Amino acid sequence: MKISRRRFLSMSGAIGSGVALSSLGLDLTALKAHAAEINKTDLIRMAKQSTTICCYCSVGCSLICSTDKMTGKIFNIEGDPDHPINEGSLCAKGAGLFGITEANEHRLRKVLYRAPKSDKWEEKDWEWTFKRIARLIKDTRDADFITHNDKGELVNRVESIGHYGSSNINSEECWTLTLSARSMGLVYLDHQARVCHSPSVAALAESFGRGSMTNNFTDLKNSNCILIMGSNCAENHPIAFKWILRAKDRGAKIIHVDPRYTRTSARCDIHVPLRSGTDIAFLGGMIKHIIDNNLIQEEYVKYYTNASQILSPGFDFKDGLFSGYDAEKRKYNKETWTIEKDEAGIPLRDYTLQNPRCVYQMLKKHYERYTLDKVSSITGVSKEDLLLVYNEYGATGAKDKAGAECYALGWTQHTVGTQNIRTMSIIQLLLGNIGVCGGGIAAMRGEPNVQGSTDHAILYNILPGYLKMPSGPVDTLDKYIKKYTSTSTDPQSANWYQNYPKYTVSFLKAMWGDKATAENEFGYSWLPKMDDGKHYSMLHLIDKMYAGKIKGFFAYGSNVAVSSPHTNKVRKGLEKLKWMVNVNIFNNETASFWKGPGMNPKSVDTEVFMLPAAASMEKEGSQSNSGRWVQWRYQAASPPGDALSDGDITMRIMDALRELYKKEGGAFPEQILNLKWDYRDASGKFDALKVAKQINGHYTQNLTITDPVTGAKEENKKGETVPTFAKLMADGSTSSGNWVMAGSFDQKGMNKMAKRGKEDPTGLGIFPEWSFAWPLNRRIIYNRASCDLNGKPYNPKMKLVEWTGDKWVGGDVVDGPWPPLADKEKGKFPFIMKSDGVGAMFGSGMAEGPFPEHYEPLEGPLAKNPISDQLINPAIEIFKSDIDKVANADPKFPYVCTTYSCTEHWCSGFTRWQPWLLEMMPEAYIEISDKLAASLKIKNAERVKVFSVRGEVTCVAMVTKRLKPFEVDGKVVHLVGMPCNYGWLLPDGATTDDSVNHLTISVGDANTFCPEYKACMVNVSKL
Amino acid sequence: MKKGMIKATGPFERVVHWCVALSCLLLCFTGMGMMYHSLNGLGTMVGGMGNLKMIHNFGGIFFAISLVFTIGMWWKEAGLFSFPEDWQWIIAGGGYLWHVENMPEVGKYNPGQKMFFLVVALFGAIMVASGLIIWFPFSFAVSLVRMMYVLHALGFVIIFAFFFVHLYLVTIGAPGSAPAMFTGWVTKAWVKKQHPKWLKEMEEDGTLVVYGEEKHSKKGRC
Amino acid sequence: MKKELVKLIDLSRCTACRGCQVACKQWNELPAKRTKNFGSYQNPPDLQWNTWTLIRFQEHEKKNGKVDWLFRKDGCMHCTDAACIKVCPTGALYHTEFGSVSMHADKCIGCKACITACPFSVPKYNAETNKIAKCDLCYTRLQVNQPPACVQSCPTGALQIGAKDAMIKKAYARAEQLGGDANVYGDKFVDGTHVIYILPEKVNVYEHLPVDPKVPLEIIIWKDVLKPAGLLAAGAVVAGCFLHYITHGPKTPDDETTCEGGNKS
Repeated sequence: MKISRRRFLSMSGAIGSGVALSSLGLDLTALKAHAAEINKTDLIRMAKQSTTICCYCSVGCSLICSTDKMTGKIFNIEGDPDHPINEGSLCAKGAGLFGITEANEHRLRKVLYRAPKSDKWEEKDWEWTFKRIARLIKDTRDADFITHNDKGELVNRVESIGHYGSSNINSEECWTLTLSARSMGLVYLDHQARVCHSPSVAALAESFGRGSMTNNFTDLKNSNCILIMGSNCAENHPIAFKWILRAKDRGAKIIHVDPRYTRTSARCDIHVPLRSGTDIAFLGGMIKHIIDNNLIQEEYVKYYTNASQILSPGFDFKDGLFSGYDAEKRKYNKETWTIEKDEAGIPLRDYTLQNPRCVYQMLKKHYERYTLDKVSSITGVSKEDLLLVYNEYGATGAKDKAGAECYALGWTQHTVGTQNIRTMSIIQLLLGNIGVCGGGIAAMRGEPNVQGSTDHAILYNILPGYLKMPSGPVDTLDKYIKKYTSTSTDPQSANWYQNYPKYTVSFLKAMWGDKATAENEFGYSWLPKMDDGKHYSMLHLIDKMYAGKIKGFFAYGSNVAVSSPHTNKVRKGLEKLKWMVNVNIFNNETASFWKGPGMNPKSVDTEVFMLPAAASMEKEGSQSNSGRWVQWRYQAASPPGDALSDGDITMRIMDALRELYKKEGGAFPEQILNLKWDYRDASGKFDALKVAKQINGHYTQNLTITDPVTGAKEENKKGETVPTFAKLMADGSTSSGNWVMAGSFDQKGMNKMAKRGKEDPTGLGIFPEWSFAWPLNRRIIYNRASCDLNGKPYNPKMKLVEWTGDKWVGGDVVDGPWPPLADKEKGKFPFIMKSDGVGAMFGSGMAEGPFPEHYEPLEGPLAKNPISDQLINPAIEIFKSDIDKVANADPKFPYVCTTYSCTEHWCSGFTRWQPWLLEMMPEAYIEISDKLAASLKIKNAERVKVFSVRGEVTCVAMVTKRLKPFEVDGKVVHLVGMPCNYGWLLPDGATTDDSVNHLTISVGDANTFCPEYKACMVNVSKL
Repeated sequence: MKKGMIKATGPFERVVHWCVALSCLLLCFTGMGMMYHSLNGLGTMVGGMGNLKMIHNFGGIFFAISLVFTIGMWWKEAGLFSFPEDWQWIIAGGGYLWHVENMPEVGKYNPGQKMFFLVVALFGAIMVASGLIIWFPFSFAVSLVRMMYVLHALGFVIIFAFFFVHLYLVTIGAPGSAPAMFTGWVTKAWVKKQHPKWLKEMEEDGTLVVYGEEKHSKKGRC
Repeated sequence: MKKELVKLIDLSRCTACRGCQVACKQWNELPAKRTKNFGSYQNPPDLQWNTWTLIRFQEHEKKNGKVDWLFRKDGCMHCTDAACIKVCPTGALYHTEFGSVSMHADKCIGCKACITACPFSVPKYNAETNKIAKCDLCYTRLQVNQPPACVQSCPTGALQIGAKDAMIKKAYARAEQLGGDANVYGDKFVDGTHVIYILPEKVNVYEHLPVDPKVPLEIIIWKDVLKPAGLLAAGAVVAGCFLHYITHGPKTPDDETTCEGGNKS
């Protein structure tokens, strides 16, 4: 792709603030004196310049790489001033992106192979490597493949191979990875989205219909009040914070609710510390406050949410438990969690909200217990602070006010992660803050392409485009479509998911190509299938690995030996593997686990491959930011040494495997050989553009489509890219690898993801011509809800869309073409992805209850839940291996420990290999309040030991006044914090400090198994 | 060498004198090359300012060693004033500035020379000490180092000014002096004029060495 | 014509993301050094020859008992009356047309005088190259109308660069908007610096920030008094000698100098 009008580093732009440094007016003596020298700006002018998207958090900042045309090497990387979000600015990690280029001596350049029992790496070539890996996969798969499960259902899967990662590769690579894994029959397929934002998808989809951030980063500036809770935005999404400060400049109040006083707190108007794991109590109190003081956006609540719907008589809640709980299975029977419907199947509603069984009244009743006193005693927040926040945020219920919420892992990484977000969703619905400018819920994702890798489903439970992963009982395509296609008889509900069959069949066509026909159910039976009700998340994978039942393991751009909870368990599990394929750009603790602390290489049989991958600026492809902007990046340089892109590695492993199956046959070879697998350019390299087009979708035959409204006929040629998912068909006449991405190309094949239009006609930060945002370039989803029943904006100053009487106009792409709700015939509810068309305050899809309820973390300081007799989340799965220990309210481990990342490091710490970043944050540390430190006689910078019932680590004590003890339920609770970015590997040799996850607990959120990294109990002592 | 010349200095004395003198000059000029940007050209002559600094620094060490010898050698003769005649000499301005009838007789070193020696000794030591601190500033408090710059510059001002007086006197100001530090032999008339007391002392002590004559025996042997 | 620029640092907007600290290293190709955690987010502990700008972290307990975390981007202030330029023996340090203090590295002889002279302790010595190093406000970028690397990288607008007058005006407006103890730091001393802070707290609250920075008195005595005095004194002496010679004449030995000295005794 060539783009015109790239300005890039022209090295002639103006300096800002309206200063024109006219070179004519300058005293030129100094210039002349240096005329002979060629400086860096000259080199940049002569260099090849290409844009890339940052490879750290998912704000999606753009950078410009300057590559020396002679050597082909990158010599400068700096922010892209044209980018609407970062505007040239970068945080520490972004500014140091140069640190991952080939200039970094620690980059992997050769395939490293560790033979069983060996104590060293050997260099290998690719040819041998791919053959060997294919052989191992085939042997394992052939031995363990099952066509039918215990119940006799057709499953076609292999359970002894697991995959973990990767959220930091291009979307096209994710898609090929997801397909190749399915094609091998894998079900233990997971990646960082699990441990990061899986609860976001579950909660946001349940509440609004789509599992993603509702607005985008540039929109934050439009907010009147921003609640940052569950996020340390300034540290972990520093460029997003730019837009928060812009809102502050425009008068918005910025509130930070967090256990720690962080760099975010330093720049907010209000910081309120709360005990880790008590967010639902805090927010539940806010719901009560909003309802009691009637701060709600009434029209919105009545018509755009399910507040008016009437609950079934059987639904009940008592002492921490909803109706239908099965204590033995730790599961709910959700039969009573339903809405009453009339004969036509339309939900019963009471728009006065007075019916005592309506959702609104039931919600009110549920949160009546969350009094200021109660909330204060649970959270450790003073009543004054609670009221301060409740009033500030509650004020955004006014029609022309918008409040935004920013969260990240502080909410997701709890056993109640999904419900944390659900609670906020309810608040946002009460205040009418969804779908509007400056509102929404910002799920700020932590990895560069975790949105893309989630869209493309490197996850056990979904297929690309959030299609459900089939399970045993759903053994035919018909059954599958019947089960998952959303139905509604309400004429005012758009019920978009009625199109489910089209997306499913188009996906199958994209996966299997010409092999997928109507006769063979488009290859549905070739997909591996899960057991019904069973989960295959990372936690389950590790558990199974620990039990010795996983033989082969793919670790793509991941480091479970540091990043997964309870790393002692993880490392014992790794020992039991027969083989492991690790793909990365730096060495890590997972690949090198066999020589880690306490390991004896001679007794470890695992065959390990450490494959050198290309870094983000060494390959082309797209990446989705948290705000769903799918941006194209270019290749600035070749990968160093033998390194290959993840796309190439995936392609070639699969090639070698297919070769073996072609030659030798084996277990269910159709699954492998029927895969469409031709995504290569003329030179045989992975062709990202080809994959991107396959993902977007195309017509598989000449197709005439009749417009349902106008009746106009439209001729489409075979092979043309589909311009929107509205054109997809369920009969195999279209193919689309991921329906949400349909429309990323126009019908002529123009790549919209590479668009660089900087215009923002409305001034609302929409930037419609910059890249592509799914769905259909919509920047703020559910934007129909920003208008009243007649389609007029609630806040005329922030007009996203407006109904003119015959059509929608405005700066954003309207979320559904139908007239507004007032049109009783054709009008539709705004939340078109929900079967009933409205936002869900009552969320029956949740595992632990339709209304969020406060439960203590699995391991906490309290023996009794102050608000009910149900101490912990009743629906979480508890792992029962011998190593899974819990020490709740145990005096041996009196301090709450929370874990997090810092600006200078990223995730499990591949930033440790970058000297600039390591220089700033050189060692593992524990933040500890001055009060606790004094009582433990620990001085600042002293080394300490931190231990939980599961393990211990050493680190440096950072004694700080920024942490304060909490008063919880009448007793003092201390909280300590540790970063998760460190492990035993450092560039200049091993350290005795190790991963903080030696302390954390192997338990996950009840809905999505996102681990509870944010709360466990520890003790601290001086070393 | 003419017959009848009087031996004023020994070779060691002369070597030490010239070591101090030349290194001092070198330091003055290299120092000036660094102090005055207009004299940065001096750096160019030695291949760059870096070299100039190196010459200055190591020249300083040479100077320091020479200074130790100088002080050791001349301390007694030139470092101590003898009263009252030295005082009278000073009051009389050494006879240089106006006509003085009865100048007190001057020994081997006149008070002017003694003062010059003391200035060189004192400020030389100051220059060495401050120079070393400036050279290695990180071992000292910044405030001290800053003070050293002042002292170093002050020392330069004084030594450099005295240098010109010295130069004048040994050349055209008091003709006949220079040979004392070149050949070591001076005329008797010069000694008589400049250091009559010393001449007498030597004659009395029998330490007078006259070119072409047998060395006088010491007084005790007479 | 001179176009003086000022880099404005609004500490009330700084989030200490340290993009500037790394961007500086990236652009100027400065290596990292291995450090230790000394009980702070800050690192390295001080400016170094390889760290020209640094975010200082400081916990500050306010009068009301609330804790504030202060961040200050430290680095060269680019003084107008720059002590470093004053003392530099070789002219390696110089004022650019933008008013910033830049350096011809080739001219530096590692004399360290600037290190001693600087009231802000900015220049740092690199033993390997025997040269000092410090921020040059990305002179080569300014020459092509690009902001310095740190300013370019700053996400929050805590760093800006622009015409001196406009920036000073902006600084005062912002300080007034912030109210309380907020103040402007930099325009009132050393004839004005080309880096100006908006400090949300009083100056004396910030560690390592001089309340009343100035060219040290010793440096003024040295450079403004003794340096000319050296030439004046020498000149005066030479003149005096000449005057003496022509008025008083040399002190020549008496006539008998012509006689053979030794014969008389």
